[in-house]
This record gives sequence, C-alpha cells and structure tokens, in this order.
Amino acid sequence: MTGNSMPERNNEGFLENAQDWTEAVATAIAAEDEMELTEKHWEIIQFLRSFYKEHEMSPPSNRLFVKAVKEALGEDKGNSIYLMQLFPGTPAKTACRIAGLPRPTNCL
Amino acid sequence: MSTLIMIDQPPYGAWTGREALDMAFSLAAFDQPASLLFTGAGVNWLRQAQEAGGIGQKSVEKNLSAAPIFGIEAIMADRSACSTYGLDENSLIEGVTLVDADAALLTNYDHTAFAG
Amino acid sequence: MTAIKTLHILNKSPDNPRAAKCLEMVSEEDGLLLIGGGVLFLATGNLPGAAKVFALSPDVDARGLGKLKWSSASAVDFAEMVQLSLQAQRVVSW
Repeated sequence: MTGNSMPERNNEGFLENAQDWTEAVATAIAAEDEMELTEKHWEIIQFLRSFYKEHEMSPPSNRLFVKAVKEALGEDKGNSIYLMQLFPGTPAKTACRIAGLPRPTNCL
Repeated sequence: MSTLIMIDQPPYGAWTGREALDMAFSLAAFDQPASLLFTGAGVNWLRQAQEAGGIGQKSVEKNLSAAPIFGIEAIMADRSACSTYGLDENSLIEGVTLVDADAALLTNYDHTAFAG
Repeated sequence: MTAIKTLHILNKSPDNPRAAKCLEMVSEEDGLLLIGGGVLFLATGNLPGAAKVFALSPDVDARGLGKLKWSSASAVDFAEMVQLSLQAQRVVSW
C-alpha cells in the first residue's frame, strides 16, 4: 500500500473511520511496527472485529482482552504470553489498532 | 472481597452508569468478584432491542452482553422496578436475575457502591 | 398540529422528582415533549391524559421502546421537534 492511500488516523495510529478498514490497511499498519501478519494474527484480528460487532466495544484493557480471547479460543491462545508474542507492546492496543477498532479505553 | 455495583440511573442520559460498568469490568479484570444490580430507572439498561445509533451512542445492551465474558458474576434487576417499567422475561435481555433489592441482598457483599 | 400554548420538554426519567413536578404543571392546552430519559414514561404508562404528548424517535429507539405500541404519544423526529418548539407560544425545558 502506498503512503497516500492510508486512511486518516489519530495521533496514536488508530483509524478515524472504522469503515476505512481493509485487510490491506491492517497489513500496512502492522508493517509500520515491522510486523508481518500471519494466520495466527488474522485469527485474533477477526476475533476482535466480531467481538466489537457484538458488544460495540473493544476489550477495555489488556487483561480483559486476554480473558475474551480465552473465552472464545481457549487457553492456548487466551494467555498473555501468546498474545504478547503476536502483538508486541500492549497487545490489546496493538491488536485493536491493526484491527481498525477504537483504542481500548483503559490501556495506557 | 465481593463488590456490588448498583445502577439506579437510566441509560444514555449521563455517563455515570457507563463509568460504573467500567469499574465492574476493571474489578473483573483483576479477578475480584463483582456483580451488577439495576434498580429504579436503571432497569431500563436491561431492555432488549436498543438502537442507539440515532443518538450517536453505543448500545448499553450490547456493552452489557460482554459482562459474562469478562467474568462479572451476576446481573440482577429489582423485581418491582422491572414491573414499574413494563419489563418482563420477554423484554429483558438474557442472563438477568430478578431480585428484591433490599437490605438482606446487600449483606451478601463486602462492598456496595452506587453509580454516580 | 394545532396551536400549543406551552410546550413542556421533559428529559428526566419517571424516577426523577422534577418529572413529577413537570406532569403536575401540564394543562390541557399544553404539549408535552418527551426526550432523553423522559421517553421512559412510555414504558411506565402514567402520562397525563389530556395534553398532547410527543416523543423523540431516536431517543425512543435507543431505549428499545420503538416496538412498543403506544397510543398515548406521537413520535417526532428532530425536525418536527424544532417545529413544535417554534409553534408553541412558550417553552419550558425541564
């Protein structure tokens, strides 16, 4: 994706308009952090997007992100080490940013 | 320590109820037992088929549906308030327990706090 | 719409003491416009019989009351709400 096709984002890199999200946008946002999205990433991204659709919120904190993943995909994936490896930094924040969702409210 | 969060404010008019919900979610995040009790006009949080797009807000109904996933122990509603607001098992969202919000109920919790 | 003397705009839910005060003051020539938490009066049903009652649709829908059959009030959208306030001789915002 070229620089000028990246949709508008806020100062923390979250999309201003949710409907701008595409898989290409996700790939480009991830690339900024030198991340290459694998099937494991996409599984979490799709989970987060369906979570948002159902609950109209991103998991508000990292701990609740882990809980929600655990509830949906089991303990192998719903643990902080697994999610930290996939989405470095604050996993909930990094994953929501790539998934085109609002910033988790309680992540620093 | 178990905490009961009471919401007696109607949905959408003020932010206090959402803040209380956030507090309950934060307790659950740290595996502290937390339950929600809706009384008075607060029971209107629990009505099915809320469409809040027209007022530019997120549906509290949908937000609340995340409560069990995050580990909130119970969502309770005061029986008499539900009847005042015409809420019954057909119009309440899933997973709500009807209770009498009286002094005896509060003795089950170490700490009870109101929204707002 | 026939002329309304005083339009009472109520955004307080039935539990709020100000709502009771408002309903006390609504007379037969008045209009009562329910907005915000005020639309919850459609659920409790205890509305003044005489006055014309209106309810703001987006607020009704947000609270899941859109599917209720209410004969006691007419639905208005934002534009109609503005019209009502302009037509009324005076407005009381509760």
